[in-house]
Amino acid sequence: MSPKSRLIARRKATSKPGRSQRARATRGLADGTLKEQLERNDRLLRETGHLFGLEKMRRKESDPGTYEAIWQILLNICNTGHVVGCRVSSSPIAAEGGDALWSLHLPTGEAICTSRGIVSHPGLLSLLLRSYIESGYEEDPGFSPGDIFENNDPHFGGIHSADFQTTVPIFYRGKLIAWTGSVTHVMDAGFVLPGSIGFMNPDCFSDGVPVVAERIGQNDRFHPWYEKRMRSRTRVPDWTMGDARGRLAGCLTIRDRLIALVEKYGLEFFEDVAREYIEDSRRYAVSRVRTQATPGRIRKSNFKDLAMKGKRVLLPQQNVDCLFNLPLEITIDREAKVAISLRGASGWVPFGENITPSALVSGMLNAYSHVVGFDMFNWGAVAAWSLDEPPPGSWANPYPVNYFAASGVAWAPAVVWMSSLYEAFGRSYWSRGFVEEVAAGGATTMTAEFSGTNQYGIYTAGLTLEQASNGGPARGIADGETSAWCLYTPNADFGNAEVTELYYPILYLGRNIEPDSGGYGRFRGGLGHTAVWLVKNTAGIEYQCGCAGIRSKVCGNHGMFGAYPTWPDRPSYASGTNVKELVDARQPLVHERGDPEQPDLVKNIRADVVEWNVIAPFVTPGDLHEWDVIVHPVSGSQALGDPIERDPESVRRELDDGWARERIASDVHGVVAHFDAKAKRWVVDGAATAKKRDAIREKRKQRGIPFRDWWKQEREKILARENMADAVLAMWRSSMALSPDYANELRAFWKLPDDFTF
Amino acid sequence: MSNYDSSELERLIDGELPWTRVQEIMKDAKDGDRFEQWVAILQQRVPWKEKILLPLTTALFIVQKGKKRIVKCRCGHEFGDYRVNWKLESLIHVLETEDQLREVYRGREQPDPSWIQIREYTCPGCGTQLEVEAVPRGCPPDFELLPDLDTFYRDWLGRPLPDEVEFADKTLEAVRNWRSESR
Repeated sequence: MSPKSRLIARRKATSKPGRSQRARATRGLADGTLKEQLERNDRLLRETGHLFGLEKMRRKESDPGTYEAIWQILLNICNTGHVVGCRVSSSPIAAEGGDALWSLHLPTGEAICTSRGIVSHPGLLSLLLRSYIESGYEEDPGFSPGDIFENNDPHFGGIHSADFQTTVPIFYRGKLIAWTGSVTHVMDAGFVLPGSIGFMNPDCFSDGVPVVAERIGQNDRFHPWYEKRMRSRTRVPDWTMGDARGRLAGCLTIRDRLIALVEKYGLEFFEDVAREYIEDSRRYAVSRVRTQATPGRIRKSNFKDLAMKGKRVLLPQQNVDCLFNLPLEITIDREAKVAISLRGASGWVPFGENITPSALVSGMLNAYSHVVGFDMFNWGAVAAWSLDEPPPGSWANPYPVNYFAASGVAWAPAVVWMSSLYEAFGRSYWSRGFVEEVAAGGATTMTAEFSGTNQYGIYTAGLTLEQASNGGPARGIADGETSAWCLYTPNADFGNAEVTELYYPILYLGRNIEPDSGGYGRFRGGLGHTAVWLVKNTAGIEYQCGCAGIRSKVCGNHGMFGAYPTWPDRPSYASGTNVKELVDARQPLVHERGDPEQPDLVKNIRADVVEWNVIAPFVTPGDLHEWDVIVHPVSGSQALGDPIERDPESVRRELDDGWARERIASDVHGVVAHFDAKAKRWVVDGAATAKKRDAIREKRKQRGIPFRDWWKQEREKILARENMADAVLAMWRSSMALSPDYANELRAFWKLPDDFTF
Repeated sequence: MSNYDSSELERLIDGELPWTRVQEIMKDAKDGDRFEQWVAILQQRVPWKEKILLPLTTALFIVQKGKKRIVKCRCGHEFGDYRVNWKLESLIHVLETEDQLREVYRGREQPDPSWIQIREYTCPGCGTQLEVEAVPRGCPPDFELLPDLDTFYRDWLGRPLPDEVEFADKTLEAVRNWRSESR
């Protein structure tokens, strides 16, 4: 397309119609109103089982080459939006970590195609656009060329308010033909505490600056009051507005390029293939289940803690320890339809870790994109499964009971729950023999945020992207990838250390692969890594070790096929240190975590405060200062298989590399090895290893007791609530109250009285 | 649709294929006879004759034994009706104190035993660690995979199994018969 024709196309696209023209524009003559189109789409899916009633894929069948080519062009358009948007944004989260996404949607909201980035967002944007239509926005305020709509409120389609969702309608010759949307995670959302990981928010009134499903601009420009609001209600408004401009720039890029595509291939063709891509995605997800999984039921319990008792909190009711019950039940029926339930989920919490069902649907789409439906990634996979309404009043559906529940980092429990989806489908794929598709459970997401005066003498608040590069889950046939995977994005990227140092007053003393951090199994999960930071060039800075989906008191319930799960997340820090003296004297510093009982932080440093085994999340009680040290670990993923079936050569190699430790090699993997100082390598004694492993098997048989005997003993301990933390008791009470059938099954299993509760 | 010969699939299963080849297999359309080949390979590797109906884990299989469908370990140990959670017939050892947890997790790596217990499920026959659970006291054992075998064989594979059985979780029925010395 020539520059001139592009200009004409853009003018056509953005020229503002009069009132009567606008009504025609948004309705179209044949299509009816958007609300009518939505109702028709829903009815056709119900009646035919196909999205938009597409029993035949006319365009795909008649011209598969062009069909595929246009898909690739749309992908390219969305990814161009991503590149432009991130460059314009310039905030570390978008520019350095890529925590953003741009997408293209039907007029009724369904995502057609998306860019790289955070794949939980297309579902959110789809549901947000749907909610605009269902709320009558088509009439008031109406949709016009050049409009900019935005939302970050979980009550109306958002997930958590740090994720701003911007949508722009795309008109062609007066007709609304599509939407483009974007989500970026801003550096500061205006929460009650600085930053964007609002786990500490007690209620929605502390959930930051609200943009409540509103029109924030016209004629491709923000209204002036939008920027005024961002400047008065977020702490780093240049970055917040940079993100806003980045979202808009990416959307306008997509809009202009889509119009060029429509000019070339025709509107009718675009409208046809856009719907076929979505139906194609649904078919792919159904087909994958049908050909690679098994019908039946899969269950996976999981739990996540949020232990805040005795810590710095905001309100008295937050002086409490919480444990989340995150149950997953999947039923696959004869038609390969997948039904998902959270029966048994525990109650909402007085922290920013509650999520709405609509956000959960989008999260599910994220997880599904990794393990089930990832060919043409769009809204289609959502039609391949159903999510039962989570128990009202639970962390997964708080509003029916508490409309003011906080969602500062709503993702936190959901992402840990979704980890079970990997293992659940992994088990099903295993049974069919698709061992290469098996993935054990995922890693956790422990964030680091800094707020205070930076090295340039100005106030800063923001997130590192350290956590966006976990180890990946073990496969059915191999170890997981190390520091190259992330549950919430297929584009894992922890950013450059040197660039992070430019943003915050810290220096990296270390960024190391963490040995043995991928669980213990025949195949280990990918290993995580540890960042060691020295606070430098600041008058004072606060460190928020945030929960965006971690476990610190408990392990994940991910012992797939006999493996041990990864350990809990435990950061460390020291303040008032002697590091300057050590530097001057050229003495050893801290570059890694070291021994779990005698860590380097304790061995190498003297300090007024040394917290080497902190239960996360937390906010430092006061500012950290020059020469203080933070040790921030990022978790690995889960393992698979009996640990004494691990290949001794793999253990030896990782001992050499410093990725495994002798005690674990010996005690957990049963590998007998010694370090040959002369050859400078580890050597395995094969015969001794075989003998040790036999002894371990025999020991297991000797000390294991028949389940039924244990059940009898355990039942008595349950009745006595023996050694059960208050958080555990409270979790069971709320789970049983919110899901009576779950309670009945629990009581029946332990043969507890009908009125028993914890 | 792809097809792989049995020896290549065996190498895939055993983790011996080069990663580049595994990636090709992951990207290609899946082979339609994978399940049949998978079961045939595994059947050759077990020392017993019962027909494998569905592999459950690296060590456990649902097999046809006479008219019954039972869970069986690769070593030959039998766990009973596949519709009852096989864990009820396993050996169990629980790490639930700090000292016990030290066998695996030490120092900052140790979870809090008043929040969670580590349950090790072992095969009574061969001592293989079959599953590990990390759950708080009170959590019934996960019954991870309960396949609807008749639907699978009849409707998905097109070769019905003889003697259809009810698709139902029979675990609670089994527990109902246990003596609890209840209060």
